[in-house]
Amino acid sequence: MARVDAADKIAGRAVFTADVRLPGMCHAAVVRSPYPRAKIQAVDVSAALAVPGVITVVTGADLPERRFGRRVRDLPTLARGEARFCGERVAAVVAETREQAERAATRVVVEYAPLPAVLDAATALDPASPAVQTTPWSYPGAVVAEGTHNQQAHVEHGSREAAEAALQDAVFVVDRTYTTPTVHQGYLEPQAVVARIDTEGTVHVWMANKSPYALRRQLAEGFGLDPKAIVVHPVAIGGDFGGKGSPMDAPLCVELARAAGRPVRLVLRYPEDLAAANPRHPSRIRLRLGSDAAGRLLGLVSDAVLDGGAYAGFKPIPTVVPHGVEEPGRSYRIAAAHSSATVAYTNTVPRGHMRAPGSPQAVFAFESALDELAGLVGLDPVEMRRRNLLSTGEANPYGDAYVEARGRETLEAAIAAYRPVDAGPGERHGVGLALYDRQTPGGSTSLRLLPVPGGLVVEVGFPEQGSGTHTVVRDGLARALGLRPEAIAVRQVPTADLPHDDGVGGSRVTSSMSSAIAKAAEAWRSRTGDEAVLVVTEREQERPVTSYCVQLAQVAVDPESGRVRVLELLTAVDVAEVVNGRAHRMQLDGAAAMGYGYACLEDLDLRDGQVWAATLADYRLPTSAEVPRFRTVLVGGGRGLGALDVKSAGELANVPTAAAIANAVAAAAGVRVRDLPITAERVFVALSGR
Amino acid sequence: MRVRLRVNGEPFEATIAADTLLLDILRGQGLTGTKEGCGVGVCGACTVLENDLPVSACLRLAACCEGADVWTAEGVAEREPRLARAFEEHEAFQCGICTPGQLVAAAAYLSQDLPADEGSVRDFMAGNLCRCTGYGTIVEAVLGALRDA
Repeated sequence: MARVDAADKIAGRAVFTADVRLPGMCHAAVVRSPYPRAKIQAVDVSAALAVPGVITVVTGADLPERRFGRRVRDLPTLARGEARFCGERVAAVVAETREQAERAATRVVVEYAPLPAVLDAATALDPASPAVQTTPWSYPGAVVAEGTHNQQAHVEHGSREAAEAALQDAVFVVDRTYTTPTVHQGYLEPQAVVARIDTEGTVHVWMANKSPYALRRQLAEGFGLDPKAIVVHPVAIGGDFGGKGSPMDAPLCVELARAAGRPVRLVLRYPEDLAAANPRHPSRIRLRLGSDAAGRLLGLVSDAVLDGGAYAGFKPIPTVVPHGVEEPGRSYRIAAAHSSATVAYTNTVPRGHMRAPGSPQAVFAFESALDELAGLVGLDPVEMRRRNLLSTGEANPYGDAYVEARGRETLEAAIAAYRPVDAGPGERHGVGLALYDRQTPGGSTSLRLLPVPGGLVVEVGFPEQGSGTHTVVRDGLARALGLRPEAIAVRQVPTADLPHDDGVGGSRVTSSMSSAIAKAAEAWRSRTGDEAVLVVTEREQERPVTSYCVQLAQVAVDPESGRVRVLELLTAVDVAEVVNGRAHRMQLDGAAAMGYGYACLEDLDLRDGQVWAATLADYRLPTSAEVPRFRTVLVGGGRGLGALDVKSAGELANVPTAAAIANAVAAAAGVRVRDLPITAERVFVALSGR
Repeated sequence: MRVRLRVNGEPFEATIAADTLLLDILRGQGLTGTKEGCGVGVCGACTVLENDLPVSACLRLAACCEGADVWTAEGVAEREPRLARAFEEHEAFQCGICTPGQLVAAAAYLSQDLPADEGSVRDFMAGNLCRCTGYGTIVEAVLGALRDA
């Protein structure tokens, strides 16, 4: 049976935020700073107010001092006093139409006094550089100590002394630095929000956001409101990939709705989204990795510096670090490892989360370095990994052990499935390999089951952001209750209607639905009358489950131009049960396509504090014509989580891709590209330098 | 100025400004299946048929569409149920934001008597970006619809 959301999405009937129309609704446009750092001397809104159709113009000085964020609350509604990045919101216009609002926004005259700006993370961490935030430790949720300079976060794992000593004892050591650029999530629906305040003062929000209950909390904290005074309404989400879990423009839109006394819709133009939303952190990672004469890993010292941009508020987790970057080499047995990660404040666009936050950066660095070390040892890259992959029962270098470690099986399955694809005439063929493992988390949610003639309706609190979340609930309940899927309708309801949900993200929806579905089916079967059933699940003490993903990239390098064609990406994935084969495959293919974009195409091209990839014509996403051929091998027999016995899928296949391709290019052309993206220019320069 | 065209088979007439986009008059009519993605004609989310050819409604001036026969995803899904069913069966969508544009582009492919091989479909559909699926199921849906034709 077709997915729950199929017919509406195919015929264009699904309602996304930009499609929401409310009675009396007006439209907003934003005035943004053209400077990375500038004092806002004065704002003259008189010309803007004179534009026909304009209802109100709001500046930072008009609004109360409030800060918002996913964890650290350092995001202002509008800049006040100082603009801290190029693209920061300085003022906003509300008008009868979007065009009128945009026209008026160009008439807002802001007098700026440019200030010395901090444009990269290395400069930022130099104590002599200007402070991006005066007292960042004073923000609610801040994790940095008083007196630190331009730090959003800093974490360390392991013993530095032990890791340094291990490197001293090593026979072979690589010491290399790898860099990755700022990239955009590439969702095709720009950030959008609609806000309405009803006569009782309740705030209603429709927003492209994957975690309605988290959004409600973020808004409640920032506005100092009871969460019950905020209702987040369901809408379809046009792609998330980690980029739609923050308050983003909601605080501003709520203030504008208050100021206008009418509902307000704010939809970003895509260039605004590219320049001023919450793209992935760029990284600079120095790895020192050493082995004995036989290639057994002895020591790792990793120093990662990430540019977090002007605000830390887009990172949700307690350490305020895109956590994947904390654990390079987590799939391997390394006698002594030390990892340090620092996220800097700079006067650039604030960075946020994107599909497996921190992992694509760390895995590109580590899996490249591992191949470089294999080269020193004189070992085949496959054999290098065979010797060092963890076995079941062993803890990884960061102290985590899982119920099973299926790296070896997954690697062997990938190798067994390998079939060479021919390169073109004059091209050099190469194969590269990389590996990643990711924990499967659980989560908490609530479901309400209502009887209807011939079946039941399930109310859920999380959106269908595309991965098939609502269909998982329908099909899971149908199986558990012995009903036909047609008898079950899934409906997302406003936040006021259910107690809680964790939202979509962290590759956890199917696993966390697993226990909710089992519990709901049980409650439904054992009810006595025809009443509705509400079940609430807490995140359980799960058994630690991880899933391995091995990618083999085949490339053809043109030695004349440096052009790299990725002929095939073969992905082997360690799985337990797969509840929806097609949806599972699309998670892997879509991720692999994204990994390919990260490896070869995408770069927001941040220079002089400004995003130069102004449109999707400059910021190139992979097309149907240029994505590599994807092949997938499922390595069954693993042990998953919950009643459905599943492992995570959504954030695996985008992670090892860049290293697999870099390793393949090195194999094909004999040159090592340590900076993403791997463009023809970079390969050409590397080839010329030999 | 006045503009007269046909939208999904029905006559449509509106008073517009000279810079009004086709995208805006369609969305203004409640035909929100035509999406604004990139706004510069590269993502394909706003693809509609204008006299059977796929165009980016975000770049097309409404004033230039005088007399045109315009079809949006809403109309195409109804006019070509077989194609819509192929999208459903092959699960040629995830989040749904690019899907209406993909459907319209696929309808254009089917109407042009082009070869029924994967490479040709991939080349033709390259003007419609999808960040979710990796394109495999979309290409399969178009090929499936071609086979059934």
